[in-house]
Amino acid sequence: MPQVRILAKNFMDMVAALPATKLDKLYENPFICEAVLRSLPPLAKKYALQLLFIDSPISAKTMEGWVLADGISKHRVAIDRLLQLRVFLEEIDRKKESTYKLNPKFQGNIQKYLVYGGSLPRQPMPSNVTVRLPTSVDLETYALEQWEGFLLQLISSSQVEKLTSFSASMMKFFQRGLLSPRENEAPKLTENGFQFLLMDTNAQLWYIIREYISTAEGRGVEQMDLISFLLELSFHTMGEAYNLNTLTDIQRSVIKDLANLGLVKLQQGRKESWFIPTKLATNLSVSLSDSSARKQGFVVVETNFRMYSYSTSKLHCEILRLFSRIEYQLPNLIVGAITKESLYNAFENGITSDQIISFLQENAHPRVAERIPAVPENVTDQIRLWENDRNRVEMALAHVYEDFPSKEVFEATCDFARDMGGLLWEDTDKKRLVIRGEYHQDMKDFLRRQK
Amino acid sequence: MSNNNDGRRRGDEDEEDEEEEGGEVAMEAWERAYADERSWESLQEDESGLLRPIDNKAIHHAHYRRRLLLHQSASSLRIQKGLIRYLYIVIDLSRAAAETDFRPSRMAVVAKCVEAFIKEFFDQNPLSHVGIVIIKDGIAQRLTDLGGSPELQIKALMGKLECSGDSSLQNALDLVHGFLNQSPSYGHREVLILYSALSTCDPGDIMETIEKCKKSKIRCSVVGLSAEIYICKHLCEETGGEYSVALDESHFKELLLEHAPPPPALAEYAIANLIKMGFPQRGAEGVISLCSCHKEAKFGGGYTCPRCKARVCELPTECRICGLTLVSSPHLARSYHHLFPIMPFDEMQHALPGNLSQKQPQTCFGCRQSLSHGSTSGLYVSCPNCSQYFCLDCDIYIHESLHNCPGCESLRNTKAVDAMKT
Amino acid sequence: MASKLYTDDVSLVVVLLDVNPFFWGGALKKTTTTTTNSPSVLSFSNFLNHVLPFLNSILLLNQLNQVVVIASGANTCGYIYDSSETNTSEAGVGGSGRMPDLCERVLGSLEEFVVNDQRTGWGADPTAANAASGMLSGSLSLALCYIQRVVRGGLLHPQPRILCVQGSPDGPEQYVAVMNSIFSAQRSMVPIDSCVIGVQHSAFLQQASYITGGVYLKPQQLDGLFQYLSMVFATDLHSRNFIQLPKPVGVDFRASCFCHKKTIDMGYVCSVCLSIFCKQHKKCSTCGSEFNHPHLEPISTSEQK
Repeated sequence: MPQVRILAKNFMDMVAALPATKLDKLYENPFICEAVLRSLPPLAKKYALQLLFIDSPISAKTMEGWVLADGISKHRVAIDRLLQLRVFLEEIDRKKESTYKLNPKFQGNIQKYLVYGGSLPRQPMPSNVTVRLPTSVDLETYALEQWEGFLLQLISSSQVEKLTSFSASMMKFFQRGLLSPRENEAPKLTENGFQFLLMDTNAQLWYIIREYISTAEGRGVEQMDLISFLLELSFHTMGEAYNLNTLTDIQRSVIKDLANLGLVKLQQGRKESWFIPTKLATNLSVSLSDSSARKQGFVVVETNFRMYSYSTSKLHCEILRLFSRIEYQLPNLIVGAITKESLYNAFENGITSDQIISFLQENAHPRVAERIPAVPENVTDQIRLWENDRNRVEMALAHVYEDFPSKEVFEATCDFARDMGGLLWEDTDKKRLVIRGEYHQDMKDFLRRQK
Repeated sequence: MSNNNDGRRRGDEDEEDEEEEGGEVAMEAWERAYADERSWESLQEDESGLLRPIDNKAIHHAHYRRRLLLHQSASSLRIQKGLIRYLYIVIDLSRAAAETDFRPSRMAVVAKCVEAFIKEFFDQNPLSHVGIVIIKDGIAQRLTDLGGSPELQIKALMGKLECSGDSSLQNALDLVHGFLNQSPSYGHREVLILYSALSTCDPGDIMETIEKCKKSKIRCSVVGLSAEIYICKHLCEETGGEYSVALDESHFKELLLEHAPPPPALAEYAIANLIKMGFPQRGAEGVISLCSCHKEAKFGGGYTCPRCKARVCELPTECRICGLTLVSSPHLARSYHHLFPIMPFDEMQHALPGNLSQKQPQTCFGCRQSLSHGSTSGLYVSCPNCSQYFCLDCDIYIHESLHNCPGCESLRNTKAVDAMKT
Repeated sequence: MASKLYTDDVSLVVVLLDVNPFFWGGALKKTTTTTTNSPSVLSFSNFLNHVLPFLNSILLLNQLNQVVVIASGANTCGYIYDSSETNTSEAGVGGSGRMPDLCERVLGSLEEFVVNDQRTGWGADPTAANAASGMLSGSLSLALCYIQRVVRGGLLHPQPRILCVQGSPDGPEQYVAVMNSIFSAQRSMVPIDSCVIGVQHSAFLQQASYITGGVYLKPQQLDGLFQYLSMVFATDLHSRNFIQLPKPVGVDFRASCFCHKKTIDMGYVCSVCLSIFCKQHKKCSTCGSEFNHPHLEPISTSEQK
């Protein structure tokens, strides 16, 4: 889905939009350098690595010589991005040619990383203090549960058994753009909301985090601090325990929110309490680059429009319900059918056929994912056809005029309307005509003049 | 069309056809797929009632083992393979080739499959030569000379795809016989006929021609596209070839590709010989040199004859200056795994978890996959030579693609032993 | 479908490191005898100083990147590092609390490897001539097995490639095995990059890179090895379509004969099984065919039309 990339990139755009001084300050933190480097397009990464141990500036011309003729556009994109993020600093030399140089802070940090190896943002707690740490499997189920719980609450708060402790106003903020409030009724998902649900987890996560960051200042948290903390968090080791005391006050308040999203698990020992980063947190910086999240699909669609989904997730069930009729639910199997009615329902809610098809394709079960196409052609074609069916009728506002006093007036009116190009239909016998909505005022004026 | 279809529907499907005619229980194609396979019977549940994916690995591996052992027993006698082959592909482009029982027509299907076949053939028989002969209007004509370049052959064939008239087996055999008689004695002479027609319209006694082919040690094979014909069968039997008739397109392709691997060499068919050959080096990119085959200066690439240092453009070829046969050594090396097959590995079974007295290997030597959880059956294999342990996946990969035992290769001692054996 | 997922720059790099003591010992000797200004000689510790940051940089470029290191010594070869095993083993060892430090782990297992390698060698007769060559066939076979496992892992896997950093000369006795590995790599579309740090070019690696579409490079200045590695060999397969890479300086297609394991550029080929010999024989030692016309040199005489 294209949205995935746009959203993920948007986050780096947010970073790029920071003023130069703030950006340079961010680069003092080695983890930011690392995360920024990973978010770059492949060619840009390579350039940064290539210039890493070169202290003198390199002229732009020389760098252009590194690429083949058909790579020149990629080259430009890479250089632009490097300049935007101030990884490269541009200098004009004596011969008025532009040269590039690595940002010294960035350079220093990455050099250190390469030579001495990465270090941890903070030391994990010794295992004798932290008893009963969850296993990695437990941790993953915990993270998914939290996250799905949050999503369910986001789309329909009635379905959830345990609510997250996000304040109602916070929740409202997240829901903005995804749900449209209705009076006396549960809010309805908007088009964007559906698209959001069909995205993969990392993209959803970034969407929420972006909203979270943009509202940070209202809560008295500096945006930059939040960005650097989040990126730093992604470099913690999954499943290790970290003492909460090592965090600043602001970070401690933030981490509670993150626990609600399933990014970290909070645990309390006898004396101390700690947080354990989950996979969601450690994946944060991965999803910044183009490489999409790697996860296993679960849906098998057959040529007879039946759909088998090997999943235990309630959320998956809810998503499938958006465009299909769920028939049976076994402990780890959801059986449904894609029907005309279920699809019309989806189309009415603003989901497009392409979204549904790409969702089915991207979540195809490994057994069918190897097939080409992963979703049978007759099903994809039919989904598209049904969508086209809906577009056969176009709605336009129109007005009916009848009870004309005389045939002359009627005909004059018809001619007038025809001249304007607004006449849609006429019936001379019964003296009735239909006019495009936008010409209603003109017609009224005309008729008034007739009198 | 009907002919073909009837041939394919056999046995149990007949019953369904009857039912279909009865009109009551007509099944859609997709329904039949379930009814035949009864896939639900192999479903498995775990303790908590969750459906478990079916583990095909062990079955898959068993299939492979059978194949391997079969192959092993067949080749244990060190059968000599005819690796230098001179093959004429005879394509019947008579009226019958226009039939549309193969979609879009027999001719188009044949052309497509021949293209695949020629590529595969050169991959498996690096030093061989192929030529194409077509039969049309009762006469045979040679489309291409025996040669080593797959692209040229394919191009020539694609330009000549028209059909008309009758087919003549004898004319074709006579023509091919004339050409193959000139080929070197150490090569294997072969003809592969792709025959669409149901008859042959000959000028003389075909039996004489067959006798002639037999004498010249030309191995004739036929792949038919319509039905079995006696004369074709007779031809193949007499000359030691193979005769088969295709049911449909995929079957045709399969039959055709069976002719790509080198046939077992029968001692009397070709005389073994030592041929002197050169392995030229490839020149650096961007260097200008004078080319001996085009007689002009060429830029970059090219190969240098090790004896006279002349430059040639393509391999395999013969040096224009000193006459040495020049081949690319990787070309030769492609077939070496036939010569030095690795022994089938011994199958082992993981002991039950409780039984710890036996020392059990933890990971596969090749890919470092854990041996205990890799497959549910607890099977693994071990190389009889270096006694390293491998997982089933590596076992298949090693025997079918790599043709090296990583265990033996990564120990210098065993290699010395190995070298002495061979 | 599969190719669609290949647009990413996520890579699996299997690095084959030459740790053959015969090579490095020789290199050291040269540095001491020829004293100064010999830029083409590198000591082993310096070599590691270049290679370890390179391994780090691969891991840095993408969180999903994976690095596997296989060492090939005098008598054996084996895995010494696998970045995908970082989490599990580190946590299992009791959580020393240190960041999975690549350098430390590589050096640790390297030491273990070298000791084992030496011990394995004791049993064999110390014919230095044989042991001085690299163990290319073994390490390539291991690398390919590993790559197969990753590729089997599903549709979503990093793009694999192999990098050989070799200094030891080729071992002609490995000819068939090396060629087998090369063809298998070619079939699975795994490029083999070669960085030759020895004095001579390697015919095996030239062929390997040429056939599999990898890059072959013999750096001029070994003290700038890291720069070579990061400029050329850190490039992911996707970006290789846009980048100027070193052009091949010719490929040595010489083969090894089966009888004496010598590298030859001209020889005799058995017409039945294509075995290569450096001398005339009466009988083929591979397939057992008897040659009745021992002297038949050019094909052309019989092929004239």
